Amino acid sequence: MATSTPAKRTAAKKNTDNTSTVETIASPDPELASKLTPEVLAAIDVKDTYANPPAELSDRDPELLKKLYHGVIRGRAFEDRMHSMYRSGDLLGSYYSGNWHEAIGAGIMAAMRDDDWFAPLHRDVTAHLMRGMPPEQIMASFMGKAIGPTGGRDGTLHYGRLDLRTYNPPSHIPANFPVATGFAFASKYRGEDTVTVAICGDGSTSRADFHEAVNLAAAQDLPIVFVVQNNQWAYSTPLPLQTHSATFAIKAVAYGIHGIKVDGTDAVAVYDAMAEAIERARSGGGATIVEAVTMRMHGHAEHDPADYVPREMLEEWSKKDPVELLEKRLIDAKVITEDEAKQTREDARKWAIEARKIAIAAPMPDPSNIEDGIYAE
Amino acid sequence: MLSDLADKNDYTYLDAVGAGLDAEMDRDPDVFLIGEDVGQFGGAFKVTKGFLDKYGPKRVVDTPIAETGVTGLAAGAALVGLKPVVEFQFADFISCAFDPIINVLSRHHWRTGDAMPVTMRAPFGARLSAGPTHSQSVESYFAHVPGIKIVMPGLPEDVAPLLIASIRDKNPVLFLENKYLYRRLHGQGKVDLEPAELGKAKVVREGTDVTLVTYSAGVHQGLEVAEELAKDGISVEVIDLRTVVPLDIDTVVESVKKTSRAVILHEAIVHLGMGAEISSQIQEKAFWYLDQPVKRVGALNIPVPSSPPLEQAMIPQPEEIAAALKEVARA
Repeated sequence: MATSTPAKRTAAKKNTDNTSTVETIASPDPELASKLTPEVLAAIDVKDTYANPPAELSDRDPELLKKLYHGVIRGRAFEDRMHSMYRSGDLLGSYYSGNWHEAIGAGIMAAMRDDDWFAPLHRDVTAHLMRGMPPEQIMASFMGKAIGPTGGRDGTLHYGRLDLRTYNPPSHIPANFPVATGFAFASKYRGEDTVTVAICGDGSTSRADFHEAVNLAAAQDLPIVFVVQNNQWAYSTPLPLQTHSATFAIKAVAYGIHGIKVDGTDAVAVYDAMAEAIERARSGGGATIVEAVTMRMHGHAEHDPADYVPREMLEEWSKKDPVELLEKRLIDAKVITEDEAKQTREDARKWAIEARKIAIAAPMPDPSNIEDGIYAE
Repeated sequence: MLSDLADKNDYTYLDAVGAGLDAEMDRDPDVFLIGEDVGQFGGAFKVTKGFLDKYGPKRVVDTPIAETGVTGLAAGAALVGLKPVVEFQFADFISCAFDPIINVLSRHHWRTGDAMPVTMRAPFGARLSAGPTHSQSVESYFAHVPGIKIVMPGLPEDVAPLLIASIRDKNPVLFLENKYLYRRLHGQGKVDLEPAELGKAKVVREGTDVTLVTYSAGVHQGLEVAEELAKDGISVEVIDLRTVVPLDIDTVVESVKKTSRAVILHEAIVHLGMGAEISSQIQEKAFWYLDQPVKRVGALNIPVPSSPPLEQAMIPQPEEIAAALKEVARA
């Protein structure tokens, strides 16, 4: 830190001519957050669509909107079913709810191609389902059943399948971030135009994996989009105890990549942010951090009553149900009718019940071969 | 052949690492090198000198200082079918990548059935006055974790064949190069570029009185001691494990059944070192053949000191190895 003058920020330009064009922030500025106006953020390549969501749906592709809608409806139906399965004692352990995260998963998946690479974490059921993961396989993973993607060798949220171009992450968040850079590295290495999307939560951004992966991706110009689901809580730790950054998207500035902050309860807004970030990555324009803001309406997992969360906060966020919001807007825009919405919800409910039946009926794994497969032959 | 090795009939341990890498990169376009200073600088020990010019920045990738990030990147690239070779500048820094190695690389195949062909090269070991955080033997940390192969060549002629086999292997392989040997050990003739079989020990000296089980720097050291003891009429059979995981216990047991006596030597700390496992397996599989308790020779249970007299006092010396072999052979 070369100077002791008050905080002064300039755009982090790429230093291509060996002359110093970057001024440093001398000391933490308590008023920095208030100075990050939309104009400032736009000037330093961080877009805040949170404040200005895409309001008009009338000129949008109805097929896209229906895709988002079916995505969030199935996601919610699955979440609801898993909550009840937890309460019924169907599951071996807990369940990490993606409630109120459905719009993020749907927006991401609607913007991705099937041949893109995906490295999700534990609240991304909606995205998994849209990507083609059978619901009974996810349930089976939480039940230790043989039909789970790992046949019971791993469990709970560890159910990604490489044939769906989806990474199966370990418990150490965000270990999927460095792995995702490897997917993106391979795309670039082979000259393919596939893009990688990795997801983590606000809590994960504090870990070294996050920094190393984002910095590495920036330094290597990798075709990747890092999504930060800001749901306000890392287990019991609220945002102010996690970071003094004004936003998570703003971190992109320091890495020399792009940042977008978006309303994570608005599936259309998430789609727009992802479509922009993915297209940029695909065309060689570099990486983006997309911060999608929502709320974790359940505990860290279902065993956690989350008494540390202020009730007023839950009440406030309960008005922003991403599923209801999208449904209402689509009905208002006459993309779907109320009857269609009702039918879609009922179909999804039956679909989730049917998946549970399959998972319940599935056998437990055979322990006789547990020592096989330590090594690939 | 990348370097000027093609015209020579003498090569170092270090040359052999480079030759193995070069041969495999030449043969397989999916193989790439990644690590700190591996490109334009040619690596901290100059193993990859010239590689950037030959293979370009796409396949010889200089990275930020980010062991976790780079190891995770390698895992992702491997899942997509590439064959990354990660260089850790010193094996000591591998602790920064402990999380991805343990939780991502080692168990991915067992969890999912997807192959994870990542080779991790790391110079390790003492005798260079590099101190407690630049001289460690790290094999035992990883030997306890299922799913990682650990290759530790001792002889120059084995380096390239074992490295090529490691790169071709579909699993995470930790390839530990003893940096003290880099320029001290020489091989004769041309570098052998035929892949060896991982998990196969080699009897590098036949003997009848006592079996010395060792690997890496212990092989060269053990052979020298065995030569001396031969003058005293003690015939030492020296086994180079070459890979400590998988452990070729059959070759060890076969030898012990012949000699009825065994000493295990490694540069790593004796306490919970590889010798503990090998010793246990010998007594489980060949107890009734033993004439003496199995003896272990290795480092003291302290960090590796920096100053030469302190460092020498920590790691096994030839006199100590000779004394152990004599005691077990003659008792």
